[in-house]
Amino acid sequence: MIRPFKYSKPRFLREALEALEKENTRALAGGSDLLVEMREGKSQPEHIVDVKAIPELSCFSIGKDGITIGGQLSLNELADSKELGQTCPILGDAVRTVATPQVRNRATLVGNLCTASPAADMAPPLFVLNAAVVVASKAGEQRIPIQRFFQGPKKNCLTPGQLVLRVEIPPCSSGRGVFMKKSRVQGHDLATINVAGWANPQDGSLRICIGACGPTPVLLTGSDELYQRAVSRDELLDGLAMLAQDQIAPIDDLRASAAYRRHLVTVFLGRMVRILFPEEGGTSRAS
Amino acid sequence: MLHEIPLYTISVEVNERTYTEKVPAQMTLLQFLRERLCLTGAKEGCGVGECGACTVLLNGKAVDACLVLAVEADQASVRTVEGEARDGELTLLQRAFIEHGAVQCGFCTSGMLLSAQSLLEKNPHPDQEEIVEAISGNLCRCTGYVQILEAIEAVALGREEGG
Repeated sequence: MIRPFKYSKPRFLREALEALEKENTRALAGGSDLLVEMREGKSQPEHIVDVKAIPELSCFSIGKDGITIGGQLSLNELADSKELGQTCPILGDAVRTVATPQVRNRATLVGNLCTASPAADMAPPLFVLNAAVVVASKAGEQRIPIQRFFQGPKKNCLTPGQLVLRVEIPPCSSGRGVFMKKSRVQGHDLATINVAGWANPQDGSLRICIGACGPTPVLLTGSDELYQRAVSRDELLDGLAMLAQDQIAPIDDLRASAAYRRHLVTVFLGRMVRILFPEEGGTSRAS
Repeated sequence: MLHEIPLYTISVEVNERTYTEKVPAQMTLLQFLRERLCLTGAKEGCGVGECGACTVLLNGKAVDACLVLAVEADQASVRTVEGEARDGELTLLQRAFIEHGAVQCGFCTSGMLLSAQSLLEKNPHPDQEEIVEAISGNLCRCTGYVQILEAIEAVALGREEGG
C-alpha cells in the first residue's frame, strides 16, 4: 500500500519549482516508476507535485535545429509521431521496446531518464545523439549533457528544487543510427543489455553507447579514432569489441551474468557494425 | 508522516456517468473503481504495471489503473469493461471472445477486451503483428493467447456478425 501524501497539480512552473524545493517532495509525470517505488516502500514522499499541467513541459518540435521533447510527452506520443520516426528512427525503435502499450501511454521519455536506471532503454540513443537535458530551478535554466545527467544506478544529477523541462537533441539528418535490445522474453521485459550506435560519415564520428553494463550507460571513448583509422569493417569491429570490453563493467543479476553480458556486447557490436556499414570491407566515409 | 490524511475532490466520468467523490491522494484509480464504484471488472494482478489485468481506457487510451492515482483522473473519462455492453447487448469483441473460447478463468479478460477495443478503435483492421503488440501488456495464463488472437482477428477481418 502507498503511504499517505499531499498532492498538488500546479499550472505554473514557478509554483512547481517552489514546491519541489521542500524536503521529501517528488515530481510525478507518468508515475510508472514512482508509483511502483512508493508501493514497494522504496520511496515515501510526503508531497507529490504532478507536473502534467505545466505548459513548459508540453513542447514537442522537430525541425532543422533539432528535436525538442517536453517532460510531459508520453512514450506512445513519441512512438505515434510519424515525423519523429522519419527524422530520427532510432528514437522510435527504442521507444517501442519500452514496457507495454499501457505503460507507454503514461510513462514519459523524461521520466525514463530521471529514473536513471543503467538499463534505461531511452538512454543509449540519446547518448549517441548527443542529447542534453534542460533543467529549471528558481535560479533559471541549465542545459546538462545527458552523460552528466546520469550519475550512478538510479541516481540523476538533480537537486531539490530542480525539474527537467525538456530533452534537446541536435540535428541528426547527416548520420545513421541503430538501436538494439536483448531481453529474456520477446514481450515486455527490461533490457539484459541495450546498445545504440550512430555513425556520421560527414564528420567521421562514430558514437556507441551500451546500457545495463555498468552503473550508468557507457558511451565508448575512442570509437571516433577507430572509425577514422580502420581500413576494414572487420578491423573496426575488432577494435570496438576491445574498447567495449575494456570500458564496460557489467554485474551478475537476475537478468544475466556479467559474463553473458560481455558476450552479448561483442555479438551486438558485430550486428550493429554490419548495419551501420553494410558494405563488406568498407567503413568508407565517402559512401 | 502526515497527521491528517488530506482528501481531494475529484469528478470523473466513468462509463458515461459522472461521479464526484472525495479521495485520499494515495488511492489508485483501480481502488477507486473497485472499492468506491463497485466496478470490479478491472482486476488487480501484479499492482506494478506488468500484467494488464487492471487495464481501463483513460481518455480513450489503455492504461494500467493500478499505476494511475484517482486524483490524476480528475476531469477525465474512464471506460471499464462494465460499460462496453449496451442495453444487455454484448459488443462484437465480447461475442467473439465467447465464440472463440478466449475466456477461461476470466481474470485477464476485461483487460484483454479493453486493450483490443482501443486498438480496433484506432485501427479497425490491424494485422496479426499489431494485434499481438496491442495485447502485449496483458498476461493470460490459461489460453496460450491463440484463441484470444483469433477472436480479435475475427472482428478485425469483419468475420463477426454485424462487423
